[in-house]
Amino acid sequence: MERNLKEKEWTFFNSFQDVFSFFFLLGRKAKKTKVFYLLSFMPVAMALMVQFGQIFYSRNSLSGPYVFSNIIITFYLQFIILILALFFGTSVCSEELEGKTLSYLTTRPISKSSFILGKYAAYSLLMVLMTVVGVVLCFLILNFNQLGRFSLYKVLLKDTAVLVLGLLCYTALFTFIGTFIKRSIMFGLIFSFGWENVIQYFPGSTQRFAIVHYLKSLLPSPTSGRFSFLLFRLEPTPPVLAVVILLGITALFLGLACLVFSYKEYILEE
Amino acid sequence: MNPVIKTRKLSKWYGNILGLSDVTLKIEKGITGLLGPNGAGKSTFLKLLTGQIKANIGSVMINGEKVRNNHRIFSQIGFCPESDSFYEEMTGWEFVTGLLKLHHFSQADIEKRAAKALNIVDLEKAKDRRIKTYSRGMRQRIKFAQAIAHEPDVLILDEPLNGLDPLGRRKLIRLIKSYRDEGKTIIVSSHVLSEIEAMTNNIILIHQGKIFAQGDIHYIRDLIDTHPHMISVTCSDPRKIASRFVKEDYILNIDFTEKKDNFVVKTNNRDQFFNRLPSVFIEEKTEVQEITSPDDNLQAVFDYLIGE
Repeated sequence: MERNLKEKEWTFFNSFQDVFSFFFLLGRKAKKTKVFYLLSFMPVAMALMVQFGQIFYSRNSLSGPYVFSNIIITFYLQFIILILALFFGTSVCSEELEGKTLSYLTTRPISKSSFILGKYAAYSLLMVLMTVVGVVLCFLILNFNQLGRFSLYKVLLKDTAVLVLGLLCYTALFTFIGTFIKRSIMFGLIFSFGWENVIQYFPGSTQRFAIVHYLKSLLPSPTSGRFSFLLFRLEPTPPVLAVVILLGITALFLGLACLVFSYKEYILEE
Repeated sequence: MNPVIKTRKLSKWYGNILGLSDVTLKIEKGITGLLGPNGAGKSTFLKLLTGQIKANIGSVMINGEKVRNNHRIFSQIGFCPESDSFYEEMTGWEFVTGLLKLHHFSQADIEKRAAKALNIVDLEKAKDRRIKTYSRGMRQRIKFAQAIAHEPDVLILDEPLNGLDPLGRRKLIRLIKSYRDEGKTIIVSSHVLSEIEAMTNNIILIHQGKIFAQGDIHYIRDLIDTHPHMISVTCSDPRKIASRFVKEDYILNIDFTEKKDNFVVKTNNRDQFFNRLPSVFIEEKTEVQEITSPDDNLQAVFDYLIGE
């Protein structure tokens, strides 16, 4: 048939790519993205204030790298990536249900798994861009007088990689939750700011039930300072194992999300 | 002729609520009108046909293939949903090209097909505007454009004429008929008999989740014509006007309502009544305010047919 000649080969990757580009475009235009861009720039404003304080009021008590690593842990790791992953991850499925646009997608020749993975990837890239831009700006602002120090860039790279890994992992979890729980945001908030915030301070192996434990295991522990209490009970998992576990969690929840989305019946309320 | 769509004992419940019950049908090429009052089960039937929901019992086959969880079949199916839902931030062009992309066409082909579909629905000038700025009629047309853009063999249209102005309706009806002439299979749902009547003679009557009848539209039209009609007349002197009709044998009943300026006539010959009414108004020099048919709708016909 003529149609078949004009179509690209039907592979899972082609479907994934097509879904990705559709939702990357849509995600860029969404109001939510603009709001979260602003949110992810909050630490940049804080970094600016710290720097202005040091320059204009000659407060030299805090070093740039120290403030930077605390901004990464306090703001990005424990707040921004959680919020981003929660709202973007749950919306992979729920915004199609709430907006009643699901029928446009489920009546296309794409597998349901490629829809979940393509949209997850599109939203993940958007979140990574939001986060990385903010982190790099914070880094430049806080270290502008020592930008020639090569070792600082290694820290920047490592911190950014940990945040990206965290985003991927949390987003996979929330994507899964969004496929089968109606009020997924509420559940996600309880998980993010209840479970994750509490369980990580439990001594022994209990803290290994929190994703943030593995992320913190990859970050250098601050030896001193006013924010060190946030890490004081961390009993880190070896870095390689932590990365493997985070990737495993990501793959597991994405697989579950695909499975649930493929077989669950979604009835759009009229 | 081989049926394009086959359903067998199709049934669907939403908890305790019956959505569709024991529907066995064969639908051939051409236009088939799915007619029923609101809540009759039309959308449920179309969602089952497009695999969006799972049947509790029974099966759906399109071109000999099952539909649910068979995504490849959707290259042959175009679906226009009833709900007025869109990716509001997208422009019309982005919406149509984006959804065409999901059919795995090449970029050049996507652009060609999108331009053609938008041209067909007269939206080429508004294609770069965001959908959220579109009027109801434009939204209905862009929804139709996404259903036809990939040139499917089977078109499933859920209340496609909702929200369209008379000119838009006429154009869309003409367009749907042109698809029939191309040998496509089209299922159109509506709760308005005249809309379906303008498109096809082949109808499926659905009511309370059950297929009531399938076949020629003249059957239902005849039933409507022989079924007594109620006509409400509001005018300045209702008793004087009513008295002129008392002797007419096509008048079965005249009721005066609580409103002082209104009466309701029950007739088995609506056309004769309407032919006579204007001259009576003129002769009696009475000012007419409103003439309505409270039961001239599908629900009333169904109620009559099922003996309620």
